[in-house]
Amino acid sequence: MILLQSHSRFLFQTLLNRAQNLEKGVELDHHWVEFDDVRYHIQVSMKNPHVLLLSVSLPTPSSETIFVCGLPFGAIEAIKAAYGNLVQILDPPRDGFNLTLKINLSKLPANQEQKHAFLVKVASIREVVLGAPLRVILEHLAARTVAPDLDPLVALVHRPNESFFLFPQADKVTVVYPMRFNDSIDIVLATSFLQEFVEARRTAGLNNTPPCSWSLTPPLELKEVPAANAGFVTFVIFPRHVEGQKLDRTVWNLSTFHAYVSYHVKCSEGFMHTRMRRRVESLIQALNRAKPDVENSKKTSYNRSFKRLSLKDSRTNSFS
Amino acid sequence: MDPSSSRPAVVIDNGSGYTKMGFAGNVEPCFIAPTVVAVNESFLNQSRGSSKGSWVAQHNAGVMADLDFFIGDEALSKSRSSSTYNLSYPIRHGQVENWDAMERFWQQCIFNYLRCDPEDHYFLLTESPLTAPESREYTGEIMFETFNVPGLYIAVNSVLALAAGYTTSKCEMTGVVVDVGDGATHIVPVADGYVIGSSIKSIPIAGKDITLFVQQLMRERGENVPPEDSFEVARKVKEMYCYTCSDIVKEFNKHDKEPGKYIKHWRGIKPKTGAPYSCDIGYERFLGPEIFFNPEIYSSDFTTPLPVVIDKCIQSAPIDTRRSLYKNIVLSGGSTMFKDFHRRLQRDLKKIVDARALSSEARINGEIKSQPVEVNVLSHPIQRFAVWFGGSVLASTPEFFTACHTKAEYEEYGASICRTNPVFKGMY
Repeated sequence: MILLQSHSRFLFQTLLNRAQNLEKGVELDHHWVEFDDVRYHIQVSMKNPHVLLLSVSLPTPSSETIFVCGLPFGAIEAIKAAYGNLVQILDPPRDGFNLTLKINLSKLPANQEQKHAFLVKVASIREVVLGAPLRVILEHLAARTVAPDLDPLVALVHRPNESFFLFPQADKVTVVYPMRFNDSIDIVLATSFLQEFVEARRTAGLNNTPPCSWSLTPPLELKEVPAANAGFVTFVIFPRHVEGQKLDRTVWNLSTFHAYVSYHVKCSEGFMHTRMRRRVESLIQALNRAKPDVENSKKTSYNRSFKRLSLKDSRTNSFS
Repeated sequence: MDPSSSRPAVVIDNGSGYTKMGFAGNVEPCFIAPTVVAVNESFLNQSRGSSKGSWVAQHNAGVMADLDFFIGDEALSKSRSSSTYNLSYPIRHGQVENWDAMERFWQQCIFNYLRCDPEDHYFLLTESPLTAPESREYTGEIMFETFNVPGLYIAVNSVLALAAGYTTSKCEMTGVVVDVGDGATHIVPVADGYVIGSSIKSIPIAGKDITLFVQQLMRERGENVPPEDSFEVARKVKEMYCYTCSDIVKEFNKHDKEPGKYIKHWRGIKPKTGAPYSCDIGYERFLGPEIFFNPEIYSSDFTTPLPVVIDKCIQSAPIDTRRSLYKNIVLSGGSTMFKDFHRRLQRDLKKIVDARALSSEARINGEIKSQPVEVNVLSHPIQRFAVWFGGSVLASTPEFFTACHTKAEYEEYGASICRTNPVFKGMY
């Protein structure tokens, strides 16, 4: 997996499962948390198996982000546009959540493909709600206009108490991400990952991708931003990147860029551990070859149930 | 307060066969996926230096191959449809054998299935009671180093299975856990939440052996199953049709009298040619689970039936706990899901206990009447993921967060903090 999927796998699986066994009444009450502190809660009651209540809570916005009634601007319109009359927004939302949707499963389109597409859309609720302001700006970009009544600098929430910044213009939108990590190793890895990322943009075949740059100091447009320990990444989005079908993917990839980097930092750590383990194994082999004679290890039937690590292995474990 | 302790902990129960993962506080796990990784190893086998100019391409391909793997059901279907992926099972007989594959498996569990940020959540993992401390250290190392988890708790799966029956009305933490998974079978006596380590018994027959036995029976009868698919078919047959019978001879008679009622059919599609096939499923329906009660029909190495092993296990426990151990025998693991498994186990065990009581009474000429021993084998509907559920219950208590090994402790003392297991010290 290189890119993160836009729909929540568990939500989709649950919805599909419910839609296929509509007659069977089940009690369902499940809550879970996704990356960047997006929380979900799903509820189906025995009495009303057709109705599914889905609640979503969003990351706490930082001071510079504007939230209207607990939601990013344009979210209500985006929900209505995406789901039509199949979904009802409950007001007020469930306690502790920003949004509660009532989905009537008996009204789903009968056509299998349409139903599937709709359920995927519901499972990507996060993209619809959190990406709504970004979508508004990018739609204006596609039409080569600037959205009215907007500041020249827009801050959008993507992690709890953290935002990324946009400078909408008629012919391009500049997106700036301050990258922050908690762990010192993560900071180093993320810094070099981002440098490689910018470098990779220059290879042939990627000429049409959005121009991207990385620097330790914030760009000039951002004057009073909080510090970022892994530098600032800037993308410039042109109208050709948001034409037609591309819009959805652009919105998703831009709104989860931090999660994408953090996922790949973790993957690189795993990759390095694999290499280190291989190296230790080869060194141990070399050591074993150097020994004059290896004493015969006793094999009993007891060894069948679990593999005993030798003393040497345990040492390498605790000090590696 | 630490913000991550306000979020539900992630509970992952890695079994040899299936991994159960989800968030604490829920009744069911989010996903139950086979513990298997399909790795693309075609890059490793390329001869080095064959063409010096393309080393950049090779390097890039090698780096990409690092992300080119699948887990769970996707892994199984990938390996079937293309030959570039090799399956690797990271856990065998309840012990992690391949740490590379295990790390990748966890990575996908966290980022692709649960889609959570590991830095935000405490983690609860499980291990078998016989896991070596070294492997516990290794688990801690991967969790803290690779995933930067804020806190980790490694629980013994049998204690969690016992905790699954833990409700507000009844909190019984004394009992015998009969944990029959896919790769390992353990019988673990627990007294007041303490594992009686010296009395743990394990037997070399588990779910996988039933599958192999069913496969062998079907092959010997000459059923028309393509050989490359036969293990998977046997597994499905085991999961869908197998049951426990009360008497093997009577069951043979029943099958012979009314074959129409008892013989099931399996329909499938050959993976290579796409042609449909069908085969019959007969005696293996009850002979599969029978290997726990009459192991001699399957292997000649191990011939002690499961009820006898459980009895021995309880007899080796401290004498004052035996009665309560007999009273609370808890089943856990997917391979105890066969219909009437608990009834058969209870009946056979009761027979052994009664016979012993009778013989001891005869020895002392009936002067003292002993109180009859109560034998109870409990089964509940969530048996398949009882361990996970126990973990979910445990991790949703506020004490859980204080019992965890934290990242700060790890950085201060190193991986050795995971050597001791708090469950052996008793948490309840």
